[in-house]
Amino acid sequence: MHPSEEALTDYIDGALDAAARAEIERHLETCVACRRLVDDSREIKTVAASLDLREPPIRSWMRLERAIKLEARPAGRGAAFWDAARLGWARPQLAWLAAAAVILVATAVGFKLLPRGARPSAPAAGTQANAPIVSDAASADAAAQSVEAELRQAEDHYEKAIKGLEQIANAEQDVFDPRTAATLQKNLAVIDQAISESRAALRAEPANEPAQQSLLESFKAKMALLQDTVALINEMRKGNEAGAARIVSGLKQKGD
Amino acid sequence: MLTRLPIVVTLTLVAAPLAAQDPSERDLRDVVREQVREVVRDHTEVRGGPRAYQGRERGPEQTERFSRKVRLGRDGRFTIENIAGDITVTGGSGDEVSIEAVKRTRGDRSQLGTVQILVDERPGRVEVRTNHTGRNDRVAVDYTVTVPTSAGVDAKSVSGNVKITAVQGVVRAEAISGNITTASTPKLEAAKSVSGDVNLTDATADADLNASSVSGLIRARGLRARSLELGTVSGDVVLSDVACTRLAVRSVSGSVEYSGALAKTGRYDINSHSGTIRLALAGDVGFELSATSFSGSIRSELPMTLGPTSSRNDRRRPGPPGHSTHAVFGDGSAALVIRTFSGDIVITKR
Repeated sequence: MHPSEEALTDYIDGALDAAARAEIERHLETCVACRRLVDDSREIKTVAASLDLREPPIRSWMRLERAIKLEARPAGRGAAFWDAARLGWARPQLAWLAAAAVILVATAVGFKLLPRGARPSAPAAGTQANAPIVSDAASADAAAQSVEAELRQAEDHYEKAIKGLEQIANAEQDVFDPRTAATLQKNLAVIDQAISESRAALRAEPANEPAQQSLLESFKAKMALLQDTVALINEMRKGNEAGAARIVSGLKQKGD
Repeated sequence: MLTRLPIVVTLTLVAAPLAAQDPSERDLRDVVREQVREVVRDHTEVRGGPRAYQGRERGPEQTERFSRKVRLGRDGRFTIENIAGDITVTGGSGDEVSIEAVKRTRGDRSQLGTVQILVDERPGRVEVRTNHTGRNDRVAVDYTVTVPTSAGVDAKSVSGNVKITAVQGVVRAEAISGNITTASTPKLEAAKSVSGDVNLTDATADADLNASSVSGLIRARGLRARSLELGTVSGDVVLSDVACTRLAVRSVSGSVEYSGALAKTGRYDINSHSGTIRLALAGDVGFELSATSFSGSIRSELPMTLGPTSSRNDRRRPGPPGHSTHAVFGDGSAALVIRTFSGDIVITKR
């Protein structure tokens, strides 16, 4: 019988007593699925730990809090196949992944929720007409630089997390049947193109708001797809489903 | 077919990064990529969507039937997991779960015996799992299940379609390469597929619904929910007569179509990188529009009052690509936040 996910999480976190730890280790000696799960989880934990902890700007907190309330889902619902990793943070073995994503979301939200007046491309309605022009220009300049700096930081965070997830996903593609693996690869390529287009647009117009939003949305989409992929890999491995891809692949080849 | 397919897939994978290198050639490459995608679909899916077991292997089909009835209770929860084959769950009367399964193969009949259908009964819960014990078996299992109508259902399939109808309890349906279809499921909570389509009809609930597909179409009709969150990468999203107070749609290259009325004080947040977003609005609910696009156009046939921050460069009317539009229609009671990078935004009256 496999240890519970909670027990495996505690094992990885070093939170078990000696007897419980020894029991898990005995199981890991004979269970490839659980061993891989532990390996994957440790890798995710390492990736998450490598991210810098960033506080979102103070001005973002009120809106962030409101957004969290809007996003909050009622408790007590079952964790989904792959939903938990991305949305609910309910799957213990992916808690570190969730932590990494929270940092990223905080970064992104911090950027996204800047007051419009602080954004370079959309002057705030109701700007004082008689305010000194030099002061306005300097303020807009500073705001533009601040937004671009935040965007660069957000991009850096996303890239770090994506790199780690990609390593896991690429190394474990064999759990999927070829068609599913191709679908995932193809769609990652679609997102990469979106990222590339957004970057090209920002090179031409660094302060362009739709391009900035598009770049962040594309990063979020890539993170979400990679998180789903890793969660799926874990799910396929769990409960002796590692052979599912082989079975499905075999059936499809017969059917083609 | 088998020799052509890898070439087509390779072309697809190569085409995307190449296109990314030179935005000026994007339009032509988009056309080529779309053509390639269609060819891939033609070669990888049978009519009616992807199926695990096509039944075209040599040799006569061997089958083995499984039938069992288990007491669940009217408010119990039924869980089913399958690797290959379809799952059909229907709500019915009584307090029993009726499980009918057909194992199928066109290989050796002995393979059927290596696939076990495990039924786990606990108070208020019944779980069914398909256990493939042999190596390289070619067995699919199709399930037809009837549950008490008020029961909850969790259905998961690796490769096979999932169809759930007339179940009143909380429903979650998930597949990797199969289609998800639900109808008359008032407490539908999640419907997800990686490469299959997601079709949702006639669900009414004061609940949050999450549906996604990586590459498949998401279609919702006659759906009512408190909040609706839909996500896809390359699939399209088609919503008609959907009622919700909070809608969030995310797509990368797929288009989004919304046809129907808006809810007063509703919030509709739709984002697609390169897909077209079309809204055909019925009724007279007013809305406040915030639409942005880098290179797509923004068009509306509804008379709107433009706000003070319209346009990237303070252009004051919808039309030319590459700007933001802030405008109000009617009393502005609903909020529409529409964003694209290169896709067009079109608002019409239905």
